[in-house]
Amino acid sequence: MTLLGRIPRRLIQLTCFVGAVVLIWPVLPWAIAPRFFQQASPFVVLASSLAARSIGVGAILALIVGVASSFKKRWFCLYLCPTGFLLENASRTGLRKTRWWSKCPPFGRYVAILTLVGAVAGYPVLLWMDPLCIFSSPFALNKTTNPISAILVCLGLGVLVGGTLIFGMLWCVRICPLSGLQDMLFSIRKALWTKLTASASSRKFRVARRAFFAGAGGALLALWARRIGAARYRTSDTLLRPPGAVPEDRFTGLCIRCNNCVHACPTKIIYPDTGHEAGLGGFAAPIIRFDRDYKYCLETCNACTQVCPTGALTPLGLQQKNKYIIGEALADNNVCLTALGKKECDACELACPYDAVKITWDEEQYIAYPVVNEKCIGCGACEVVCPTTPVKAIRVWTQKPA
Amino acid sequence: MQRSVAAGGLFAAGSLVRVSSDQAGGPSTNQETARTTTQSETRVPAAIFDGKVVQPRRELPVLQKTSILVVGGGPAGTAAAFSAKRLGADVTLVERYGYLGGLATGGLVLGIFPLYDRDKKQVIFGIGEELMKKLDVLKFGIIDRSKAPVYPTIDAEAFKYVLADMVLDSGINAYLDCWGVDAIVDGKGAVRGAVFESKSGRKAILADIVIDCSGDGDIYAAAGAAFEKVKTNIGLISRIGNIDEVDLTVGRGSEDPEHPVTGKPGEGRPSKGRVNDLNGHAGNSTPAPHVNWLNMKGPVGDALDIADLTAMELKHRRGTWGNVEKLRQKPGNEQVFLAETAPQLGVRLSRLLDGVKKLTVEDIRSGAKFKDVIGYSGAYANAPEFQIPYGSLVPAKVENVLAAGRCISADFEVADITRLIPVCWVTGQAAGLAAALCIQDKCKPRNVSVTKLQNLLKQQGAYLG
Repeated sequence: MTLLGRIPRRLIQLTCFVGAVVLIWPVLPWAIAPRFFQQASPFVVLASSLAARSIGVGAILALIVGVASSFKKRWFCLYLCPTGFLLENASRTGLRKTRWWSKCPPFGRYVAILTLVGAVAGYPVLLWMDPLCIFSSPFALNKTTNPISAILVCLGLGVLVGGTLIFGMLWCVRICPLSGLQDMLFSIRKALWTKLTASASSRKFRVARRAFFAGAGGALLALWARRIGAARYRTSDTLLRPPGAVPEDRFTGLCIRCNNCVHACPTKIIYPDTGHEAGLGGFAAPIIRFDRDYKYCLETCNACTQVCPTGALTPLGLQQKNKYIIGEALADNNVCLTALGKKECDACELACPYDAVKITWDEEQYIAYPVVNEKCIGCGACEVVCPTTPVKAIRVWTQKPA
Repeated sequence: MQRSVAAGGLFAAGSLVRVSSDQAGGPSTNQETARTTTQSETRVPAAIFDGKVVQPRRELPVLQKTSILVVGGGPAGTAAAFSAKRLGADVTLVERYGYLGGLATGGLVLGIFPLYDRDKKQVIFGIGEELMKKLDVLKFGIIDRSKAPVYPTIDAEAFKYVLADMVLDSGINAYLDCWGVDAIVDGKGAVRGAVFESKSGRKAILADIVIDCSGDGDIYAAAGAAFEKVKTNIGLISRIGNIDEVDLTVGRGSEDPEHPVTGKPGEGRPSKGRVNDLNGHAGNSTPAPHVNWLNMKGPVGDALDIADLTAMELKHRRGTWGNVEKLRQKPGNEQVFLAETAPQLGVRLSRLLDGVKKLTVEDIRSGAKFKDVIGYSGAYANAPEFQIPYGSLVPAKVENVLAAGRCISADFEVADITRLIPVCWVTGQAAGLAAALCIQDKCKPRNVSVTKLQNLLKQQGAYLG
């Protein structure tokens, strides 16, 4: 701390800001670099590890940040957080520096408690409020292919910057769950240090009551979200998640909307969902859509599974990824040019990288049509080459749980 | 040159008729149709020696001596003949059926596909474009021109007319109903012509260069060129009348609950492996009103096995009739009738040449550029448009023969594209011009000046990128 103390704080902040951009962009030749950015957040790592019941190597970084923050109050916010740096500068140039919210309770720690208890129930409810995720999201802008996606990836940071211009540092001081968690870590460390001697004051009681309600709320929300997530998946026909996605009842919770996967996808087929596919709970979470010409989930790529900081997308090797079932291709013989004898077409069969589609001759019906076998993982190669318009004769559908 | 033909020994005592090219150019004007005389053939038939059927060695009459012999009058053969003839070469064209156009007419492969690159720009011009321009001016000749990515569809009879008209006016020596059955090879293994079977018997045509546009590579195979034999689906296309093609570009209602339309997300999920019968939207529109052409994939068969071919001819016609009956059961389709089944089976691939250059699927995926490019194929499925090298028309070893059409040197996946009608035009035109250059420059096909060939192709309007 003393060493850092000699260097101007703003210089450290600026360095971290630049470092963050380098990690996320990613300028480094190291494809999985982006995920270490969000994994610097103890909030992300703690909640996602609880929810996924597993812990990764990236946790070391978060552990360091967490321990450091428990000794120096809001050390991370003051020195390292690029969102904090951005908002600090925004508040300086802000329109009004109102402090009406200074009497508000520290929402941040209740958001953190709610999320962490939710995480124990398998669904870290408000994990997407982590400031690092909000910071990295707009970097996927160059991989968005429509204005709605562009708005979605910029929404979080836009709201924060806009809010800070009007209300000053409200977010950082009162709402940010990462700072809330740091405050809690600091208090816990201090309490352990001085031992719990004093009797519980009325204020402390109030705090404990709030924490209890936040925790209970988190658990209930988590269970409810998991139920509707699972239900949504069973009824949806077109909800496709990127490869490696954990089951739908937990996916929308574990996903922090950092958009690393959107950014990583070379074919730009991963979109932030408007809520159309998975409802409000899945708002801005990644979905796959095969609506770009010839762009499908490449058999040579597993980039999205490598960059997820929370394990919402399980890291998969290329071979594993090529076995992960995104969905299943189904052919409609009433649209298929071959089945209807309209054209000489075997586009889907030629396109399939997994040998899963075969135009098959049916001696009884005396027609041929595409037959999809169990090798299909739903990569969409067939769908994007299918020449029928506006409806594709072969499309990838949600594979419903048996 | 005639060494192998005029070999001595046990040969037929039949009169050796030499037909001059002007006599062969058109039908005889001599109206002696009603005369009947009792004749006995003086040929020596096949005989049985030691329990084996033996064809006696015999001299073959030479029907024609020509510079360039084109075997096969399909899209590749006609394009080769026209392009060579325009350079002033002496060209003879031989066709097995009684009309020209091959699978584009007799096979009822009416869709002219693939013509366009991924940006919907046409990449096949030259003779093919000329032929389509001739169809443009005919009523009911061609539809959907320049409507990329929709491909043009031609009328088979209009196209037969165009080709007949052009051949009659071109000065090409044409023989129809005449089946190329063997190569004539000299002592060095170079091709010197081909042997034909027709109602006039077995005869020889001697040539400096032979272009094998037979589709099955019958001539280069007979001459000893190496090839890959492949088996794929063999269908039979038909035309059905009193049906209107349903436009898939317009949104459809899902009035038929059994066959819901997958129009909106979440609607009408097709169940796995379900088989539908033809639901009344069968086939694709043709220039002829209310007539659709109905493609058939067919089962996998050996196009060089007469048992397979016979079985397909019979079963496909029975199956097509059955499907048309099924079509008629759909409300609104009661008046649908089977106009015709194609005279020719839809043989897709049989022999693939081992050429100087084998065009591979890796070439296509990597967008390979060739110094000896002779044209492009349009984009098909996930394959983008790709270049076709001259080397894929030239056999690796045998001299004086070129391949064009579906039997050129390409691996199976690429041949599945190069076999299509417009690509056959491209390879045919290039082979014709290359053969004409061989005559002009007195060189072997493999030594043809690529620069000259490419210049000639450009002069004839071909697209080389």
